[in-house]
Amino acid sequence: MLGRSAVLVALAACAVGAVAGIYGGARRSAEAERWARAMAWTFFFAITVAIGLMEYALLTHDFSVSYVAKVGSRASPTWVTIVSLWSSLEGSILLWAFVQGLYTAGLAWFTRRRFPDHSSYALGFTMAVGVFFCFLVAGIANPFTPMDPVPADGPGPNPLLQNHILMVIHPPSLYLGYVGMSVPFAMGVAALLRGSIPPGWSRALRTAALVPFGFLTAGIILGGWWSYEVLGWGGYWAWDPVENASFLPWLTVTAFLHSAMLMERKEQLKGWTLTLLMASFLLTILGTFMTRSGVFNSVHSFTQTPIGPVFLGFLALCLVFSVILLAARVDVLSAPEEGLSGPASRDTWFLAQNLAFTAFTFTVLLGTTWPLVNEALTGEKISVGEPYFDRWGVPLGLLIVFLMGVGPALPWGRATPQAIVRRFVVPAVAGLVTVAGAWAAGLHQPWPVATFGVSAFALVVTLQELVAPGLARWRSRGGNPVVAVLTGMVRARRRTGGYIVHLGVIIVAVAVAASSGWRNQKEFTLVEGQSLEHGGYTLTYLGAETVQKSNRTEEQARFHVARGDRSLGELHPAMNHYGRMPNPIPTPAVRSVPAEDLYLSLVSVDPAAGTVSVQVIIEPLIWWIWVGGGVMALGTIIAVWPSRRRLSAVAGRPATGRAAEPSTNPVPTSTEAAR
Amino acid sequence: MNWKVLLAGAIIVVPLIVVLALGFGKDPHALPVTMEHKPAPAFSLDAMDGEGHFDLAELKGRPVVLNFYASWCVPCAQEHPWLVQVSRTYIPKGVVFLGVLYNDEPAKGRGFLARYGKNYPTLLDPGGRVAIDYGVAGVPETYVIDREGMIVRKFVGPVTPDEFLAVLEAVL
Repeated sequence: MLGRSAVLVALAACAVGAVAGIYGGARRSAEAERWARAMAWTFFFAITVAIGLMEYALLTHDFSVSYVAKVGSRASPTWVTIVSLWSSLEGSILLWAFVQGLYTAGLAWFTRRRFPDHSSYALGFTMAVGVFFCFLVAGIANPFTPMDPVPADGPGPNPLLQNHILMVIHPPSLYLGYVGMSVPFAMGVAALLRGSIPPGWSRALRTAALVPFGFLTAGIILGGWWSYEVLGWGGYWAWDPVENASFLPWLTVTAFLHSAMLMERKEQLKGWTLTLLMASFLLTILGTFMTRSGVFNSVHSFTQTPIGPVFLGFLALCLVFSVILLAARVDVLSAPEEGLSGPASRDTWFLAQNLAFTAFTFTVLLGTTWPLVNEALTGEKISVGEPYFDRWGVPLGLLIVFLMGVGPALPWGRATPQAIVRRFVVPAVAGLVTVAGAWAAGLHQPWPVATFGVSAFALVVTLQELVAPGLARWRSRGGNPVVAVLTGMVRARRRTGGYIVHLGVIIVAVAVAASSGWRNQKEFTLVEGQSLEHGGYTLTYLGAETVQKSNRTEEQARFHVARGDRSLGELHPAMNHYGRMPNPIPTPAVRSVPAEDLYLSLVSVDPAAGTVSVQVIIEPLIWWIWVGGGVMALGTIIAVWPSRRRLSAVAGRPATGRAAEPSTNPVPTSTEAAR
Repeated sequence: MNWKVLLAGAIIVVPLIVVLALGFGKDPHALPVTMEHKPAPAFSLDAMDGEGHFDLAELKGRPVVLNFYASWCVPCAQEHPWLVQVSRTYIPKGVVFLGVLYNDEPAKGRGFLARYGKNYPTLLDPGGRVAIDYGVAGVPETYVIDREGMIVRKFVGPVTPDEFLAVLEAVL
């Protein structure tokens, strides 16, 4: 009851805040903006109370609360109980609303003394999105419905979600990415309505988009990792609609982060950049809709509910609003000062990068929705599988890695042919040497080898760019070169962060190419004491045993692993039986070393006959995908980290951003008068 | 207003919304169409606690309500007392009510019935063969079979009371 009240308070605060913020933006009313700020904080506190109460109910096994009765179980360990908050629909939406509250409060805090022209609108639209999610929690997906009769115990969350510790962080990380996209969206809407993007706002937009970008990246990689460690098929990505749903906004927001640089530096491509930004938000809503509506067939659609139509309505509203707003206001933004600087400039290649990402987005979007289109047109059910996505995704991915090498190697503006040759010689040679070396070493698969070559090219460019500012400093001033390079990297934090993200992408690209190109998989059936040989490993089946855990029964098969004469210990792949769930869930056992993974997944165990069937998979370099993901997250943190210099600079000259801005309203308004 | 932008946006957005809207009402997990208006798959099962043996073929000529449930299922517990109550009215009118224990142990099923009420036999379905024949995807699911052995209505999840009563009246 209390929980419901807290949600209703949050809903009311959001609604008032949205109206106040938008009104404050339209009328430039400082009074209304103050209201919006107060409501942002009220929203945050109320929704925090609501989620706290839900966690309390879960931890105390209060089965009179419907959501606890649905996903709680006295047998679950404490960590499972805590994370069961996001194991089912109602709880996820509550978490969603909470994250929205968190971001709203964050936005209110960051804009508290800055951006008087745009912040009111931005707050208003962020809370307008919050209204929708609070409405869901308060109404259709209310997790606080009282239960009558009160059950004595519950079934526990979906067993797939109890299986691995990664489930603790993968969903919240994705939510932080998804929900966070509403903030730059609202900020973009504010820019369109105000009809101006001053440099300060443009920089704030990029930071606001970098935060969800980082979480989205981490969430996607963690999701792949979870799927690899838990699902037992030895893969990490299957072009499942829900995976695509998280990938689509990642593509567009990445494109945005690049074209925003052009917008910031050269006042170019404003409309296009804002389109990408708004598309990122719309795609997160589409993604949520896919996960939550049950329209798409997916491993993730364990949540089928009547929430779908409401969500579609919201999605349609957002889409129509965005298109009309863009069409109506895009011409108001000031026109570009100069055109692109010709084919040998970084500007042009940024545009090429943008086009590649957009093409990728459309490819994935089309493949994901094609089953629905086809069913609507012909009434037949089809599925678009990996072959389609791989055929288009691999070359597009390769193109993107290539562009990642070309773009940074070119200067902004025009470049002389000699300069271009000088910049490209070393990276191009590195790429060609890599291809030749790989071929000579007996690696004859065209796509993976091409990926290695292009990655080497991009890697050299990226490293050059990382050390370039420091080296220039060292050449002019002397001193310790290492210190100079590090200083240069620390000084240009945003740039350094960006290139570190590039390094992460290169690592992931190489790991994906190697692990899929030279994956070696075979199924064996063994009796106790028998050995198998695969990929240089010798595996001996020692027998199976049953282990009772608090929430499951594990049937573990014990294998002794050796490589040549060297013993590498034991691996214990298992089948997990969860008390109330019909089918056992296999848990693979993985031995990871940087060079390759040995992956064992049970197919069946027959303790009576003493036999076991097991998939043995060897995947080279796959471990580096997770490392690359970590590097990308690290790079994002470095790029977002506020440098003291910039903070003080902004605080020190609050007027410059305003002065540069072509004001649509030259008469001093109440906002300005108040300041 | 920039009409080019508006047009481009509309070309992308409108079909997307239409396609997604059409996707509704179609369950991607649905087994080939539904089981409705098809002959009910035959079964021949023993009831729990020696309450007899039931063969669908022998029940021909009487309407049958087949309710798949399990002791671990919360919605089953919610609908069960109501189903028992309805059965008290309709069994005298000739309707056969049968529970089918789905993926559960008889002992636990007995506990469930002791707690939520019992007025008709529960069939045991070893290995869930009958549940598979009926295309049960989860519990509770309730099938109403008419005198000719045709499935008239399949309820996925707890039965909706008004609809359930209307269907029962129709098959009497």
